[in-house]
Amino acid sequence: MEMLNWFIDSILLVVHVFLSFAPRLVGLTIVAASIGAGMLWVFGRTSDQERMKQVKRRVQASLLELRVFVDEPAISLRAQGRLIAANLNYLALALRPMLWMGVPIALLLIHLEAFYERAPLALAEPALVTMRMTADWIPSAPPPVLIAPSNVTILGPPVRVAASREVSWRILPYSPVSDRLLFRYNGQEVAKWLEAGDRQRYVTGRRVRSRWETILSPGETRMRSDFAEWIDVRYPSADLRIFGFHVNWLAWFLIVSMATALLLKKRLGVVL
Amino acid sequence: MRAGVACFAVALLLTSACANHATRAAGKRMIVLGIDGMDPVFVETHFADLPNLNFLRQRGSFRRLATTIPPQSPVAWSSVITGMDPGGHGIFDFVHRNPATRMPVSSMAETTEPTRSLGIGPYLIPLSGGGVRSLRAGRAFWQMLDEHGIRSSIIRMPANFPPAECEADSLAGMGTPDMTGSFGTFSFYTDDPAEKREKVPGGQIVRVTLRNGRAELAIAGPPNQMRRDRHSTSVGLTVSVDPTAQTARFDTQGRQFILQQGEWSEWVRTEYSLIPHVNSVRGIFRVYLQQVHPYLRIYVSPVNIDPEDPALPISTPRDYSRNLATAVGPFYTQGIAEETSAFRAGILSKSEFLVQSRKVLTDNLKMFRFELDRFQDGLFFYYFSSVDQNSHMLWGRYDSDLLEIYRDVDRAIGQAVAKAGTDTPLLVISDHGFAPFNRAVHLNSFLMREGFLTLDDPTKTGDEELFTHVDWSKTVAYAIGLNGVYVNLEGREAGGVVPEADKRLVLERLARRLVEFKDPETGKRVIERVYFPEEAFQGRNLKYSPDLLVGFRRGYRASWQTALGAVPPEVLEDNTQAWIGDHCMAADQVPGVLFSNRPLRTAGPHLWDITASILGEFGVPKANGMIGQSVF
Repeated sequence: MEMLNWFIDSILLVVHVFLSFAPRLVGLTIVAASIGAGMLWVFGRTSDQERMKQVKRRVQASLLELRVFVDEPAISLRAQGRLIAANLNYLALALRPMLWMGVPIALLLIHLEAFYERAPLALAEPALVTMRMTADWIPSAPPPVLIAPSNVTILGPPVRVAASREVSWRILPYSPVSDRLLFRYNGQEVAKWLEAGDRQRYVTGRRVRSRWETILSPGETRMRSDFAEWIDVRYPSADLRIFGFHVNWLAWFLIVSMATALLLKKRLGVVL
Repeated sequence: MRAGVACFAVALLLTSACANHATRAAGKRMIVLGIDGMDPVFVETHFADLPNLNFLRQRGSFRRLATTIPPQSPVAWSSVITGMDPGGHGIFDFVHRNPATRMPVSSMAETTEPTRSLGIGPYLIPLSGGGVRSLRAGRAFWQMLDEHGIRSSIIRMPANFPPAECEADSLAGMGTPDMTGSFGTFSFYTDDPAEKREKVPGGQIVRVTLRNGRAELAIAGPPNQMRRDRHSTSVGLTVSVDPTAQTARFDTQGRQFILQQGEWSEWVRTEYSLIPHVNSVRGIFRVYLQQVHPYLRIYVSPVNIDPEDPALPISTPRDYSRNLATAVGPFYTQGIAEETSAFRAGILSKSEFLVQSRKVLTDNLKMFRFELDRFQDGLFFYYFSSVDQNSHMLWGRYDSDLLEIYRDVDRAIGQAVAKAGTDTPLLVISDHGFAPFNRAVHLNSFLMREGFLTLDDPTKTGDEELFTHVDWSKTVAYAIGLNGVYVNLEGREAGGVVPEADKRLVLERLARRLVEFKDPETGKRVIERVYFPEEAFQGRNLKYSPDLLVGFRRGYRASWQTALGAVPPEVLEDNTQAWIGDHCMAADQVPGVLFSNRPLRTAGPHLWDITASILGEFGVPKANGMIGQSVF
């Protein structure tokens, strides 16, 4: 899992080195358009294009039939039946490329979240860091010790939340940070990457211990720890605006990637 | 090339024509600062500490500003807004009474039900009508300026909820409710077994139970207007306390924050669902973690209307409050935001109250500076509530704390003086002054003692509100609000017993008794004078006017019990509450202030003269019913 995460992250990091100087919206649009084109290419290669052409012709024929024989209920009903059958056939044919693309796209979206869903911590604004402890944790015992980079202040003692086995700290970055938070407990040490400042960058929300959870929390290697299950930094949502309106990055991604695929389908000769 | 030049010239002409349409102030500017409760005697005593007010006194003018009868803020500011006396604008108190029920109702605004609704299951979707409307008569002066193309910014004007409709940038002030619809209801959550109360004036006390260090607090929201049963909405706030440290984590709607004991949170945004996934309203609140161990004590402020997405109209244009919040951050929208209720109830200490009221002032000052910087032409009005609210709690006993508030406001005045320069008239006004509140007068108990009010059982005196035990068939007069006495008039009050023909006789007899009323402890008169509305007011909009207005002497005020129709056993008692200063007395006992950077023509200006002065400055004629004269 970690190798896979590393591989995807490396590719995206290279891409984002080139895009980091452009506004966030421009970067996301280029990434979405590229992925849309890529998805179209994969769709063309993994689907049975000939059969898809036939099915689409059947759909068009049924639609024409419906329009021409509007006064013939029996023919119209048969045409509707054929239309539904053709649509089901189309969906079945689209299943194979979807299966090919589903997992890679899901993984890509999880990784893109680190760029477009989360923003680095704002300077001079408090944020929460939470560690989930293992089941054998005793809440009344002294909490882990947090050591923060020099430009990050830890505000007050942590809160030990017995009900959810969590320990939360409040931190305050007062200048840009791209550094590690260190947690010491019972002679062991674990770290969590911290990002603060204005510059767009890769922001990982959670570092986990579980092998499987690393799929959903990429960006940092799996934790080797006897006392912590995960460490989470509550990052603010990234602000993506189009003409002054807040837009969800995923919605914009889907719009741009689909539009790109539709625009390029003739040029690449792919039947959708 | 020629065509291009011609197009440019036409565009320039059109642009300048549009600019002229936007404002016809023709470069004229005026700044008016409203400082609620600024007292002339306090100011005179502390001129050395208030350099900007002192500067205005020395270089411009300083007068005592006559206030309204009664000298209550909604009444007085309504006079500033309309240029009329209470007989014109029809606001006589914070509360009026419904003659049919004798129950108190808000004097400033009322909500109206939708005229058409669509019922779907438990939901009732309003289709047309319904909303909230101001009860103030008369036109606001900035509406008149607007009609003449003069731009204005009217920020936090009291008695302006919902804000008067016009193009001006305006934000409602005192009278703006919280999300529950009240003037401000705080919540206090505790597991302290010593705390037995459930309700206190202006707040509720909720018992919580900690399980494994965690408790669920329900933050009350508005009644759900989309449901037939109007069930109250609420959102959950989970508090998790550390086993030993004085610190706790709060979780609500996906947001988390940590507080240490004695710390206030920033604004917390919350969303109340009216129809799940379809309709919701947003509010903001602040949390104060007063104590963690041994008992949890958490104060939650009234949930304010979120200025970024207001559930009720609080500004004109409607998106003005959003733009303001985007620029300066979230702010108190509740009309009276200083937490005097929790201080009075002993929930907050004096120092905690001062911290909270400082937060209100900080919000206010931030907004003031932002708007003052933006101000270019036309009229700029800004209102400060802090002097008034702090005077109520500090007057005569904690002068140095009160002076700090005066100093901060004086600094803001200094910024306005600098902005005004020499060419812009500046007025600094207050609606009334202040006096000590040493003795509380139970007016209904007085009326009972004098034979004007009868209980169904004379032993049933006490703090029960809303005339619970009054025998209306034997009652001639009753008191509600802070200065008003009403005759139980036949044909007006339900079950009224006094014929119209006898009303004047009853009132004259009652007025004599009131004026003769002496404090047994000092032997001095309690009431300075009594006003008959027909004589006190020029306007004849007296539908909600009390039949007599009681002007107390300095040191005396109607009790809290009187305000809501209770009949305690005593007629007079010492005021032992934290609310130690007041102004609901005879109008001439508590005048306000008027400062200007210009010489003033008038020796004894009145509040409604301010309206005439503003209109006069911009060459806008006064409307019918306006009674003031320009002070310049």
